[in-house]
Amino acid sequence: MNALRRHRALTRIWASEPGWRGWFTTVNHTDLGRMFMLAAVVFFLIGGILAMLIRAQLATPRSAFMGPDVYNQVFTMHGTIMMFLFAIPLFEGIAVYLLPKLLGARDLAFPRLTAYGFWCYAFGGSLLLVSLFLGVAPDGGWFMYPPLTSRASSPGINTDFWLLGITFVEISAICAAVEITVTVLRYRAPGMSLSRMPIFAWYALVTAVMILTGFPPLILGSILLELERAFDMPFFVTARGGDSLLWQHLFWLFGHPEVYIIFLPAAGVISTILPVMARTTLLGYGWVVAAAVALGVLGFGLWVHHMFATGIPHMALAFFSAASTLVAVPTAVQVFAWIGTLWKGSPTLTLPMLWILAFFATFVIGGLTGVMVAVVPFDWQVHDTHFVVAHLHYVLVGGFVFPMLAALYYWMPHVTGRKRFFRLGETAFWLIAGGFHVTFLAVHWAGLLGQRRRIHTYDEGQGWEVINLIASIGGFATAIGFALVIVDVVANAAMAVRGSRDPWRAGTLEWAMPTPPPAYNFASLPQVASRDPLHDEPELPARLARGEGYLGDPSRNRRETLVVEVASGEPAQIVVFPANTALPILMAFVTGGIFLGMLLKLYWLVPVAVLGVAALVARWAWSLGSTREEGPQDVGRGLALPLAAEAADPPGWWGTRFLLLANVTLFGSLLFGYAFLWTVAPGWPPAAYLQPGLAGPALLLAGIPLSVGGIRMTDRALRRGRGPWIGLVLGVAGAGATGLAATTLLLGTAHDAHAYDATVWVLGGYVLFHATLAGAMTLFLGARIAAGYVTGRRIGEARIVRLWHDYMAAVALLGLGAAWLPGLAM
Amino acid sequence: MRDVLRIALPLTVWLGAFSAVYGLEGLVCSERWTAAGLDRATGRLALVGAWAAAVALQAVLLIGLRSPRFASPSGFVRCVSLTLAGVALLATAWTLLPVATSTLCL
Amino acid sequence: MHPAGPAAATIATLWWVMLIGASAIFLFVMVLLVLAFRRAPAPQAPAAEQRQERIWIAALGLGFPLAVLSSLLAYGLVVGERLLPRPASDVVTVRAEGRQWAWSFSYADAPGRITGDVLHVPAGRPVDVQITSADVIHSFWVPRLAGKLDAIPGHVNVLRIEAWAPGDYAGVNAEYNGPGYRGHVFTVRAHDEAGWGRFLAGGAP
Repeated sequence: MNALRRHRALTRIWASEPGWRGWFTTVNHTDLGRMFMLAAVVFFLIGGILAMLIRAQLATPRSAFMGPDVYNQVFTMHGTIMMFLFAIPLFEGIAVYLLPKLLGARDLAFPRLTAYGFWCYAFGGSLLLVSLFLGVAPDGGWFMYPPLTSRASSPGINTDFWLLGITFVEISAICAAVEITVTVLRYRAPGMSLSRMPIFAWYALVTAVMILTGFPPLILGSILLELERAFDMPFFVTARGGDSLLWQHLFWLFGHPEVYIIFLPAAGVISTILPVMARTTLLGYGWVVAAAVALGVLGFGLWVHHMFATGIPHMALAFFSAASTLVAVPTAVQVFAWIGTLWKGSPTLTLPMLWILAFFATFVIGGLTGVMVAVVPFDWQVHDTHFVVAHLHYVLVGGFVFPMLAALYYWMPHVTGRKRFFRLGETAFWLIAGGFHVTFLAVHWAGLLGQRRRIHTYDEGQGWEVINLIASIGGFATAIGFALVIVDVVANAAMAVRGSRDPWRAGTLEWAMPTPPPAYNFASLPQVASRDPLHDEPELPARLARGEGYLGDPSRNRRETLVVEVASGEPAQIVVFPANTALPILMAFVTGGIFLGMLLKLYWLVPVAVLGVAALVARWAWSLGSTREEGPQDVGRGLALPLAAEAADPPGWWGTRFLLLANVTLFGSLLFGYAFLWTVAPGWPPAAYLQPGLAGPALLLAGIPLSVGGIRMTDRALRRGRGPWIGLVLGVAGAGATGLAATTLLLGTAHDAHAYDATVWVLGGYVLFHATLAGAMTLFLGARIAAGYVTGRRIGEARIVRLWHDYMAAVALLGLGAAWLPGLAM
Repeated sequence: MRDVLRIALPLTVWLGAFSAVYGLEGLVCSERWTAAGLDRATGRLALVGAWAAAVALQAVLLIGLRSPRFASPSGFVRCVSLTLAGVALLATAWTLLPVATSTLCL
Repeated sequence: MHPAGPAAATIATLWWVMLIGASAIFLFVMVLLVLAFRRAPAPQAPAAEQRQERIWIAALGLGFPLAVLSSLLAYGLVVGERLLPRPASDVVTVRAEGRQWAWSFSYADAPGRITGDVLHVPAGRPVDVQITSADVIHSFWVPRLAGKLDAIPGHVNVLRIEAWAPGDYAGVNAEYNGPGYRGHVFTVRAHDEAGWGRFLAGGAP
C-alpha cells in the first residue's frame, strides 16, 4: 500500500461527515479544537466590545453614555465572558487541537466527551449572551458576592443567568480536564516516557488537574446560591445561620487557582515556542516541570489574599501573604529559565518572538505589582481600586493573551497549511502592545489616586480626567490592533501561498504530519527516542506516511490508536474510538433542560431532563466494547497488543478516577462549608440539631458492607468464570439501604429553617444521588454481563462500577456521619 | 500512577497542612474555642505544634522519597519528585511561620 | 497618596520602597533580555548547560527572589502588626453601619448620638471604627487616613484610624454594592480637642 492509498483509506475511516451535518456529529479533535478556538475568539470579541464601552464611559467625567444599571451589566459581563467564555475555552481548544498531535496520538482519550463539552460550552455561553441582548444580564460583578446577589437584593433573573450559565459552561471544563489528563498520561507515542514529553503536555497536565480541583468549589458555591435563591435555603443569610463570607471562600478557592489555570497554558506555549525561536532547547527542562507543578499546587494556597479586607485575623492573612510571595519563586524560575534559553541560543525577532517579548515586558510588571498587593497593608489601600484592575489586566493580558498571539502566529501555518504573506501582524503588534501599556499604566495611576473600580462615572476636579482619557485612547488603539490581527489572519488563511511542512524547523511531533492536518493525524505512529524526534530524524514524516510506524495498516477498518504505560511510555493497549455521532450534541441539549428548568422556574422540567440525560448516558455507554474476544492484535513493527476493552485498566477506568478527583473536591468543599459555618457564622447554634435515631445509622451500617462487598463478589466471580448475580443483587441492596439512610436526613430537617438544616439537606441529597447512581450502574452492569459485553477478561466496566461503589460508601460514611455528629454530641 | 503520586504528594500534603492550620487558627479565634474551656495561649501552642508536625512530616517525605524503597525507578521522576519535596518542605516552613510571629486574633 | 494619618503614611512609605525595588528588578530583567539578542550563542555542551542551569535557575530563579521576598514579607508583616487595633489608653471607639446607600455612625462616648454620612472623630488620637452592615457587603475606606475594611452583615470588623490634624477627610464605600455604589460616600470630620468636647456634649461642633 503506498502513502496516497493509505491516506485515502485512513481518511475514509476518520473523516467527519461532509457538509453541515459534520459540524454537529463530529467527534474529531482537530475539528472540535478549531470550533472551541473559534467560539472562544467570538466571545473575546464580544468581551472586547464591552471593554470598549467601559472605556468610552470612563473617558470623560460625568458621562451620560450609560447609567449605573447598564454599566453594572457591562462590567460584570466583560469579566465573566473573558474569564469563563474566553480564557478557559481557548486553552481547552488549543489543548484539544494540539495535544494528540504533540504526543503522537490520533485523537484524545474520549472523543465523544470532547464534543459533549464543546456543546455544553456553546449552549451555556449562548444562555449568557441571550441575557446580555435582553438587557437582563448579571450585574453583581464577576465574583457575584452575596447578599448583593441574594434574592432580597437581586430579585431579577440576572443572577440566575450567571449561576446557571456558568455552571453549564463548567461542565465543559471538567470534561476537557478529564480528557486532557488521561490523554497526557496514556495516549502517547511509544517510547515517549515522562521525561521525553513535550513541555506543553506537562503544562496541560498540571492545568487540567488544577481545573479538576479548582472548579468544583465554584460549582458548589453556584449550586448553593441558586438553591438559596430558588428554594430559600439560607446558606448565605446571616439571620438564619448562613454567612456571606462562605461564598467568598468558595469563590476564591476557585478564583485564585483560575489565574494559574489561565497562566500555565500560556507558560507552556512560551516554553515550546521560545526555544525554537532561539534555535536551541529549553534550559532546565526538569526544573521547569517542577516549577509548573509547584505553581499548580501553591496556587491553591492563596485564595484568602482576595479577602485581606474582610476582617480575617492578621495571623491568617500572614499565612496567605507568605504563600502569595512564595508563589513568585516558581514563576521566577520559569522566567529566568526562558531568559537563560535565549542566552544559550541565537534568538531571532520573528513575530511570535515579538509577542513573547511583549509577554516579558508586561507579565514581569504584572508579577511585581502582584507581589505588592500580596503585602497585606498595601492591599488594604489599593484593594478594589483601579490599581488592582490594572494589575490583573497586566497578568491576564500579558500572561495569557500575548502568549496566545505568539501561539496564533506560530501554529497558524499548521492549521492552514499556508505561510504568512501579508504583513499586517507587525503593525497590529505595535498597536496592541503600545496601546495596552498606555491604557493600563494610566489605570494603575488612577487607582493610586483613589479611583475605585466599578464606579460608573466620576466628578471633575479629582485629577482623574486626563488619566482616564489617556487610558481610553490607549484602549481604542488596542482594539484597532486586534481588528488588524483578525484581518491579517483571515487574509493569510484565505489567500496566502502554501507553506512548507515545518516552517520553524521545530522538533516536536505536530510538525511530522501534512498541513493542514488530516483527520487521522499520523498515517502511522512514531517510535520516539527524545524530546525532539524531528531533530533526531528529519525523514520521520515521510517514513510515517509510508506506514513504517505503528498501526499503519488500516485494514481493520476502525479508528485505532495506542495507549502506553504512564511512566515509561512502553506501548500497552490498542484503543478503538467511536465513530461520528449526534449523541453528544443531543445530550448537551437535554442537559440544557436542567438549567433552563431552573432558570425559568419550570421545576418539572428538571427531573425530566435528568432522566433524559441518564437514558442518553446509558445509550452512550452501551455502544462501547464488544461481545467478541479478539485477543492480542498486530500493531506493526512486530508487536501485538490487547484491546483496551480487554485490559484491566482501560482509559474509562482512568477517566473515572480523575472525575472522582473532581467529585471529591466538590464533596470536600461542602464539608469545608459545613465546618466553616459551624465555626464562624454568627447565627449558630440552630434551634435543634438532627437526632440520628436508630434507623438511619442501622441502614448505613448495613448498606456500606453490602455495597462494597457485593461489587467485589461480582468482580471475583467474573474473573473466575462463575455467576456474578448474587454480588450484583447485594450491591444494589447496599446502594438502596445507603440511599434510604440518606433519606432520613431529608425527612428529619426542614430545608429552609437554618443554614444547618439546609447543609444537612445538601449532604443528604449528595449521598442519595450517589447511592442512586451506584445502584443504577450496578443494574446497568448486570445488563451488560447478560448481553455478553463483560467477562473475566473484559473486566474494565465492573472495575469502574466498583470505583463508584467505593466512592459512595466513603461519602456516605463521611457525609452522614458529619450530619449526625452535632446531634450526637448534644 | 505511582510516579504521578511521587510527584504530587509532597505539595498536596503541604496544601492539606496549610489549610488545616488555617482552619485551626479560625477555630482558636472563634467562640467555640473559649466555650470548650481553652484559652488563647493553648491555641498558640496547638498552632505551633501543628506547624512543627507539618514540617516533620515533610522531612519524612523527603527522606522517604530518597530511600531506595520508595524512590522512582526513573531518574527523571526521582529528580523532579525530590525537588518538589524540597519545595514542599520550604513552603511548609515559610508559609506557616506566622504562627510563631504574628498576633493571634486581631 | 497624600497621607493625613499614621496608617496611611506608613503604607505610603511601603509603596515608595516597593516601587523603587520593583522598577530596579524590571529594568534588570529587561537588560538581560536585550543582552540575549546582542551576544553570540553560548557553547552547547552538557557541562556548559549545567553551569547555565546553576546561574539562571539556582541563583537567579531561586536565590534572588527568595532573598527579596523574605525581606519584603518581613517588612509587610511588621507594618501590618503595627497597624492593628491594639488596646491603648486614649483610644476612641465609634461604630459605622453601612446600608444601601448610606452610612450611619454612633459613638461609645456619646450613647444615643447617631450621625448620618459624617463621622466625627478627635484629631491626634487613635480611633477604632467598628464596622458592620445592615444589608449587603460594603467597605469603609478613608484613603488619606488608612486602608479599607469590609462591612459584612453579622460581623463586626475593627479598623484603627487616626488623623493628624483637624479637618474633613473624604471617605467612600469601596466594595461594589449595586446601582447606588458611586454615590455611597461619607466624610470624616476630625475636631480639635475643644470641638470634640462640644460634639460629645451634644452641641454643634
